Amino acid sequence: MATRATPLTAPGGAPLAGRPRDSIAAWPLADRLGYLTCWAAGIALCLVTAAIVLFMLVKGISYLRPSLLVQSPQGSLDQSKAGGFLDPIVGTLLLTALGTALAAPVGVALAAWLSEYARPAWLARTVESGVEMIAGVPSVVLAIFGLLVFSQGFLSFLSQTSAGGSVFGKSFFAAGGMMSLLALPLIVSSTREALAQIPAHVREASYALGKTRATTIWRVLLPSVRPNIASGVTLGMGRIIGDTAIVVVLLGATLQTEGAGGAPLLSTLRGTGSTLTSYVYTNSPTGEGNAPQKAYAAAFVLLMLVVGLNAIVTRLSNGPRATNAERSPLRRGLRAVRTPWTR
Amino acid sequence: MHAAPAGESSGARPRSPAPARSGTQSDRRTERVLGALAAGVLGLIALMTITVFAKAWPSFSHNGLTGWFQSGGDVDQQLREMLTSGTQGGHPTYHLRAWPLLWGTILTTGLAVLIGIVFSTFAAIFIVEFAPAPVRRVIEPIVRLLGGVPSVVYGLIGILAIAPWVNHHLLSESRKSSVEYLVQLAGSNLSTATLILTVMITPIMVAIVSSSLAAVPGPWTEGSAALGVNRWRTIWRISLRTARPAIIAAAVLATARALGEAIMLSMVSGGRGFAANPIDGITFLFEPVRPLAATIVQNSEALSAPSLGRTLYAMAAVLMVSAALLSLAGWAAKQPLKRYGIRA
Amino acid sequence: MRVNRTAIVSLLAALALVLVPAGALAARALLVDGSTSVFPLATQLAAAYHKAFPKLAKPKIGQGQSDAGINDVASGRVDIADVSRDPIQGVDPHGLIFTKIAQDGICLITNSANPISNLSTQQVQAIFTGQTRDWSDIPGSKVSGPIDLFDRDGASGTQDAFQNIFLGQDLKVSPSATAETSNGLVQNAVRSTPNAIGFVSFAFTEGVNAVPYQGIPCTLRNAKSGQYQGVRNFWMVTKGAPKAAASKFLKWVTSSHNKVARRIIASNWIAIH
Repeated sequence: MATRATPLTAPGGAPLAGRPRDSIAAWPLADRLGYLTCWAAGIALCLVTAAIVLFMLVKGISYLRPSLLVQSPQGSLDQSKAGGFLDPIVGTLLLTALGTALAAPVGVALAAWLSEYARPAWLARTVESGVEMIAGVPSVVLAIFGLLVFSQGFLSFLSQTSAGGSVFGKSFFAAGGMMSLLALPLIVSSTREALAQIPAHVREASYALGKTRATTIWRVLLPSVRPNIASGVTLGMGRIIGDTAIVVVLLGATLQTEGAGGAPLLSTLRGTGSTLTSYVYTNSPTGEGNAPQKAYAAAFVLLMLVVGLNAIVTRLSNGPRATNAERSPLRRGLRAVRTPWTR
Repeated sequence: MHAAPAGESSGARPRSPAPARSGTQSDRRTERVLGALAAGVLGLIALMTITVFAKAWPSFSHNGLTGWFQSGGDVDQQLREMLTSGTQGGHPTYHLRAWPLLWGTILTTGLAVLIGIVFSTFAAIFIVEFAPAPVRRVIEPIVRLLGGVPSVVYGLIGILAIAPWVNHHLLSESRKSSVEYLVQLAGSNLSTATLILTVMITPIMVAIVSSSLAAVPGPWTEGSAALGVNRWRTIWRISLRTARPAIIAAAVLATARALGEAIMLSMVSGGRGFAANPIDGITFLFEPVRPLAATIVQNSEALSAPSLGRTLYAMAAVLMVSAALLSLAGWAAKQPLKRYGIRA
Repeated sequence: MRVNRTAIVSLLAALALVLVPAGALAARALLVDGSTSVFPLATQLAAAYHKAFPKLAKPKIGQGQSDAGINDVASGRVDIADVSRDPIQGVDPHGLIFTKIAQDGICLITNSANPISNLSTQQVQAIFTGQTRDWSDIPGSKVSGPIDLFDRDGASGTQDAFQNIFLGQDLKVSPSATAETSNGLVQNAVRSTPNAIGFVSFAFTEGVNAVPYQGIPCTLRNAKSGQYQGVRNFWMVTKGAPKAAASKFLKWVTSSHNKVARRIIASNWIAIH
């Protein structure tokens, strides 16, 4: 996108290079107005972003205390005794790990099937539009559907049962399951797009070596699109980290991570908890915690997580490929074909 | 077993020839496993659609499809009555006229997408055509970051910083008293909600529009420039026209996100099932609303109430239908782009 | 490939082995849900209860609205509902048992720019029903202009209690009032709106002006002594007589010999047992 034939013109109208005739001063008024609007929009975009980032930075730095990161929240009306948000941080990490662990294999498998098999065609087309629909379904709809599903008796082992005998339906399992649906379309589309860009001769080369389709997918195609899978997964993680509705409805948004009893990790996963998003929600005036300073601090930590993930995505999708021609999908694909054969 | 045809017809690109040992056991098993997985995911989606609609049915059938979408009475009062109805046996009441909620959804989404599309088209032209290289290098990651900010953070900023500001500086006493018999104005209102929603959906649109502007084939614009057309006209007539499907696709995606936004809107939209009235002039912009998704999340505690729960599922069903229609529209919008080999 | 498959199969098997018995054997939890107003009290009680009986299941406290809690307990989804309104004949599902655990005060609050010194019952009724719409009609008010009313949404126990205590059965809050979904939102709105008036639970009066009602300041002390009239009950509701775990917890909460629970309640609320 940097290569543009038309010459760059300085805002004042002085041509930097090329035809001197196309100076902005000579444009009709309407065109000049449009040009100015563009600059205004661009500057406004930068300003809004800067305002948000600075605002959160100031609030975050002024309210974030290291102790908040290591204390569990306590149900106290006195904010100095109400603890920090250790549990929400752990909850966010746990939920993200669970959601990704469910979504990544299924997403990659779906993409591989859609791109390499897709038989019968009608099924492929239906699956495709189904996944696309999921991408557009609001997460609050997924959340209340999840509550319905996980409250069923036969899924009681994924959450807890009240003394009265009915299934609670709120747990890390329930929330993670629905979160995986949130991440799934992103993983499917980025993997699939990358698979589609691998030239046919890579596959042909592999087949010519006597490899089956399955082996080709597993050994050649998937390894060569690994960065795309990774960036899809990271995007998915971003959506999981940022979602609140599913946490509020399906994780219970309880103050502390509360196990359901039994084996340690399993107890936690069957139990309820909170994440940073739900912590921000309940500590904003909307919830009853009503501790805006803690909400700001938690939102700042949440934002830092998002920034970190963003850096990873940028790295995965731009960095190596732009700088290193050796990493082009084609080269990688070819190298991958060679590897099993030479071994 | 059926032999794999050399180059099946499904899929957009021509298939490679089938592998030499396509008939091996393991290969067929892999295909079957993957296919079954795909069918499983599809089954889950179908199950979701069916259960949500089955749950929602009583709400639609009691009100009638036309009744459900009409206006009439105070929708908050109707929801309130549903909360406690049917708990003592007897017939639960489902009476609902959901128009104020729908209108709130249409207003917030429509205004935000409308403002957003104009703004992000200009911003995208700026990024692609006019921004100096260093600015461009900074702005791209910034846009991506803005798109990744969780909605609850936007909600927090909205309720603690923007709503009080709007209340102090934009709402005069006379404006408040002009509609005080109908509704009360506060910092959380239609304009606050629309403003934040616009900021939320702009990054998606900027990203899509700018990548499609950048993908406009160079010779097209060069040709125009060679004819002596100035740069702005070239962008306006050639680049933007080529990118039009991408702009539509961007609007569709942004609409989907705005429709489904629940948390942020439940925090700053005013939280009242009130049909903001355009006749009120400027005041209209400061009237409270409550879109569908926000209504669901605010009442999510009450999902176990017999009739209110089903009504909430009915709202979810409406949102699902809209999402499906939107993804159809998005698919249709992308078609003309493919003609030029541009992937949106 | 083969190694991977074996690994996956064994992982699945292990998961199944762990999950199934855990599902079958796990102790049933004591689930509590309901009013946000009761939530701070209930969580503190639950934590103390768990400290006293570490072997018993810790009560899990969710929060939402009183009426939602009543629906949940009636349908068996939770064992106890926290409710901050009194039982209503003819509306509450049959067979619910209400156990009173404490009392709480409701304060009328105004913006700190409007430190009004007293409101009578008549004035409160006139303001909240929308008869009086301007602060200049209220003697002692430091602001002028239209009154911004902040109400709570209908499923709120605080709303119901306000209705019963301050307005009486026949009057209704003006429909033009902004209905917020939580005490915190009302507090926040009143804090940032000079012309506002609203009502919140005792615990939410920081940063706003708590208005004396019938000449009595809204303080915990005045409520405990019985002078302040804006007092409502906190209930824990069970379906039928409390059983097993629920009964144990409720006995612990309501026992007059239980110093820990009494102290927690007395810190911000009014103990009644």
